[in-house]
Amino acid sequence: MEQTVIALLGNPNVGKTSLFNRLTKLHQKVGNYPGITVEKREGTVQANGKNYRLIDLPGTYTLFPSSLDEEVVFRTLTEKDNSIKPQLTVVVTEPSTIKRGIVLYQQARDLGLPAIFVVNMMDEVQSKGIEIDFERLETYLQTKVYQTNARNGKGISRLIEAFEQQPGFYRSTFEVPSSYHAALQEAKALFPLATEYLTWQFLAQEQVSYLTPEIQDQLAAIRARHQLVPAAMQKEETLIRHQEVERNIPLILKQSDSNHSNTTYRIDRLLLHPFFGYVIFFGLLFLIFQAIFSWSGPLMDWIDQIFGDLTAYLEATLPEGPLSALFTEGIVAGIGGIVIFLPQIVVLFLFLSLMEESGYMSRVVFLMDRWLRPFGLNGKSVIPLMSGAACAIPAVMSARNIENPKERLLTILVTPFMTCSARLPIYVVLIGLVIPEQYFLGFNLQGIALFVMYLLGIIGALGSAWLLNKVIKSVRSTFLIFELPTYKTPDWKNMLLTVWEKASGFLFQAGKIILMISIILWVLGSFGPTREFYQAEEIVQQNYPELNTEQLENHVASYQLEHSFLGYLGQGIEPFVRPLGYDWKMGIGLISSFAAREVFVGTMAVVYSMGGDVDVDDDNEKNTLLAQMRAEINANTGEPAYNLASGVSLLLFYAFAMQCMATIAIVRKETGSWKWTAIQTLFMTGLAYVVALLAYQILK
Amino acid sequence: MQEEQRLHELDIGEIATIREIQSAQLPAKFFELGFFPGSKIQIKHKAPFNGPICVSILDNNALVAIRRTEAQHITTTSLS
Repeated sequence: MEQTVIALLGNPNVGKTSLFNRLTKLHQKVGNYPGITVEKREGTVQANGKNYRLIDLPGTYTLFPSSLDEEVVFRTLTEKDNSIKPQLTVVVTEPSTIKRGIVLYQQARDLGLPAIFVVNMMDEVQSKGIEIDFERLETYLQTKVYQTNARNGKGISRLIEAFEQQPGFYRSTFEVPSSYHAALQEAKALFPLATEYLTWQFLAQEQVSYLTPEIQDQLAAIRARHQLVPAAMQKEETLIRHQEVERNIPLILKQSDSNHSNTTYRIDRLLLHPFFGYVIFFGLLFLIFQAIFSWSGPLMDWIDQIFGDLTAYLEATLPEGPLSALFTEGIVAGIGGIVIFLPQIVVLFLFLSLMEESGYMSRVVFLMDRWLRPFGLNGKSVIPLMSGAACAIPAVMSARNIENPKERLLTILVTPFMTCSARLPIYVVLIGLVIPEQYFLGFNLQGIALFVMYLLGIIGALGSAWLLNKVIKSVRSTFLIFELPTYKTPDWKNMLLTVWEKASGFLFQAGKIILMISIILWVLGSFGPTREFYQAEEIVQQNYPELNTEQLENHVASYQLEHSFLGYLGQGIEPFVRPLGYDWKMGIGLISSFAAREVFVGTMAVVYSMGGDVDVDDDNEKNTLLAQMRAEINANTGEPAYNLASGVSLLLFYAFAMQCMATIAIVRKETGSWKWTAIQTLFMTGLAYVVALLAYQILK
Repeated sequence: MQEEQRLHELDIGEIATIREIQSAQLPAKFFELGFFPGSKIQIKHKAPFNGPICVSILDNNALVAIRRTEAQHITTTSLS
């Protein structure tokens, strides 16, 4: 069935996403735009006896793109053969910034797109003292205008009925300045089918990603012949349009100049205060981390309990055998190991989306820009860096709204240094092993150690940004401009939806990898290339005739492991990890961690022949794994495998190394470059190696 | 004739009209968000140590923040 595609277009902060959620009633999914990797929100609406596909385009001020997000908008609206080219464009605005919305609407109409106009957030008309003459507005825009309030659903059903509208002929109010006519005529020859305005857009953009290189070259040649500067052309258009709107708006919109944004100003006086603004921000950060660690505790215990029970139940019911072991110890325990982070991730994203929805996040950008600039970053880098404390995957994606390509690249490259929740269980185990539970100046040493690890993540991120900033050449000059929206009570539905999307995305992404790694590890550990593996029992019995049954079993298991593919793999990389103070068993943990660091604890449990169902948060179990790890002797040095030197070395390695396939994949997608992905992976892992090496050699 | 001031030299609370954007370097986005000749602005906040400047675009009813380095290229006429 042919579906009608409808796109929502609008400035940021006009409540477009809330409107989208209302329209689709949450029948929506997040995917990628065809051919590009920007997240696409798409939903369906069934109405008027039809099925509509609704696309929520990223918020933009203009159709001239200056960031990746905005490029998507232009491409979706103008590329001829794209599968989601809309049949109807719904331009969404809100009363106080309606002029900017009109400019965007007129651009869309000039492209030849059928469009209707929506004034959302109608509840703010009164509080802001705005009066709109809708009849005049409709005449001026030459289309129907709809009033909605996405928060309470007012006007939504009328808007849905309007999806059947076919806006009539549109007479443009924008004329290309005559000084450009000659160039425009030449460009028209390149695009015989395009509207004049689209041709003008092509001419006035430095680069249009979807045009062929030949056409791009020809456009560049025209610009060179006529000495055209794209930025100047865009500015001229913007100016003409604004002046035109300015001439007409007084008849349409009346605003009593009263104290419309007083509340926001009062709040900002405090939140943007040169001193207290920072105190409040860092206080909030402290609160967030408190919440992550204390609020999530009970939930994590509960999840732990459930997975413990599930594993026990499966062990009891499934027939004994290697496949059942794979299922219970590998897959179920592995998934459990990841679900347990979910509460922390949910809490963090809850805070982040609260900051975003309320309008506070852009204040943080304002406060932090000055302090991030020396590192080659941008105030907007704060969001990825903060999200990185939960998980680098959504964090890397959130760097999209940074306009400057270099600053965006730097942000993506250093975000994975931030201490993500997958590092936490490793830190907990290792710190428990090598840092004594003593007090120093009234502080718990282990607590201090954990804090230092978080600090190291930040230092790693900023330090390498500083370094890379020296190396990478900037293509465009850096600038920063962003809007600080008025404060709003968050739309709770919106917030919960965002949290759900992020959390479930993380869960499925990580779940897939754990599943894969568990299976690979299991296969490698369950088979061996030589006779020793398959006749382990006889060999061990011959060598240690005095063992009782249980000891014998343990010995056989570890003998088998040593001679399995996994064992040989570990021994194969031992020469590389020996200088860092690790033996081949730890080497296995390291190898498997390159898929995802969170598998380390499970792997160590497998390797130390305890089975994979060890859970760090269960005190009894933890003690047995800890006890086992504590008793383990490094075969090379004869010393405990986890002493201060090797433990610190391992901690540092995990702090810096790029050990997450999902992050590598997302960086590749977001940067579109294997080169930078490889540089990042090698840089991080190389740094980790050097630092761990130094630490071990100094401490041993 | 009123004297000309660069945007970053204006004090908090001062209202001014933008005269000219003196750099071709500033991207069109500045125009789109309301920094163009003739538009009325008011300085609202300044981040410490020469951090960003938060400006209210009075015609658009919007708060926009820019860096000091870009504000230096914008000349204004103070109205207050």
